[in-house]
Amino acid sequence: MQTDDLIAHLSNDLPPVRNGAVMRVLLSAITLGVIGSTAVMVLVLHPRHDLAEAMTSFGMWTKLLYTFALTAFGFWQVERAGRPGADMVRPALLLALPVLAIVLLSLIQMNAADADPRLLLMGHTARTCALLVTMTALPTLAATFWALKRLAPTRLALAGTGAGLFAGAAGAFVYSFHCPEGAAPFIAVWYSLGVALTAAIGGFLGPRFLRW
Amino acid sequence: MIAQEAQYRDWMLAALMGDAGAYRMLLGGLTRHLRSYYARRLDAAAAEDAVQETLIAIHTRRATYDPALPFTAWVYGIARYKLIDEYRRHKRRATVPLDEAADLFGHDDATDAIAKRDVTKLLDKLPPAKRQLVKDIKLDGVSVADAAARTGLSESAVKVTVHRAIKSLGDDLGERDADR
Repeated sequence: MQTDDLIAHLSNDLPPVRNGAVMRVLLSAITLGVIGSTAVMVLVLHPRHDLAEAMTSFGMWTKLLYTFALTAFGFWQVERAGRPGADMVRPALLLALPVLAIVLLSLIQMNAADADPRLLLMGHTARTCALLVTMTALPTLAATFWALKRLAPTRLALAGTGAGLFAGAAGAFVYSFHCPEGAAPFIAVWYSLGVALTAAIGGFLGPRFLRW
Repeated sequence: MIAQEAQYRDWMLAALMGDAGAYRMLLGGLTRHLRSYYARRLDAAAAEDAVQETLIAIHTRRATYDPALPFTAWVYGIARYKLIDEYRRHKRRATVPLDEAADLFGHDDATDAIAKRDVTKLLDKLPPAKRQLVKDIKLDGVSVADAAARTGLSESAVKVTVHRAIKSLGDDLGERDADR
């Protein structure tokens, strides 16, 4: 086809683009993804049996706030990654804020008079935590990739890493309802590791699966 | 800021609201930059394919343009992505060109044609035999050995002739600039 004909053809039928089209794609996919991650947590891992009680504990809210902040900034990264020419550096730098906060809180808890540093750091589930966070994150990762592919990512490894980071954080948030731990040092190390692992998987898969 | 930014952005915003006339102007304008961009990086057939691929990508992904960001950067992001895609498809090279948006919008096929015309005009000043040698070696990429075999000159004579011809053209340009 001649390029002039192509232009005529493309401009022939031009429905207006609705406001927030990008957001709708992302939110609908991600809602499905988080439902999938929740299903993994509820059906495979099971919520912790003392969940109702735990909901009023400081440890539970440490986990929820930390992972929610990562999820929110991660979402912003994904949204930027889907738009050609958009800056992804600033959203990435913002991720340092929650990390800084959890590190500070960890130092405070580690330096308390009656602190048991080993227990604070390793809890009882350190061996499995990061891997289970990643497993919980996988449905959200798949959904985020599906959504990104419908947008226009131009730097695929970076976009994949952003998607992994977001999915890892959302997975960690969901995993919080299964996990019995609540010490800040544990969360700072093992939750973050789970998120980083998912981000690495996303970065590896991005160039393979995000092409459009 | 890129010179065409304001005009193209206006057309894009109108197009997003369904203005087909503005959209046609926009795609027509972008095509001239894209042709020049890909012509400098791909062979002719692949370049026109890449132009069309990019136009289709701009069309199908137009919702991803954020009006708070420069439109030219958005188009450049897509053009560069499609260029890398083209390289990957032909497995020609894995490296990514280090260029930027100004590289896309600083040229269009009209200025390229003028540049080509200028070179041709300049070459016309040379005597025919020298002109052919310069054209073969400097523009068409014929090797010195082949050119020597073709003309019956020695390789070193070919090199000297081409070198002197280029130098005389350069002197010529220098004089013209000094006159101004």
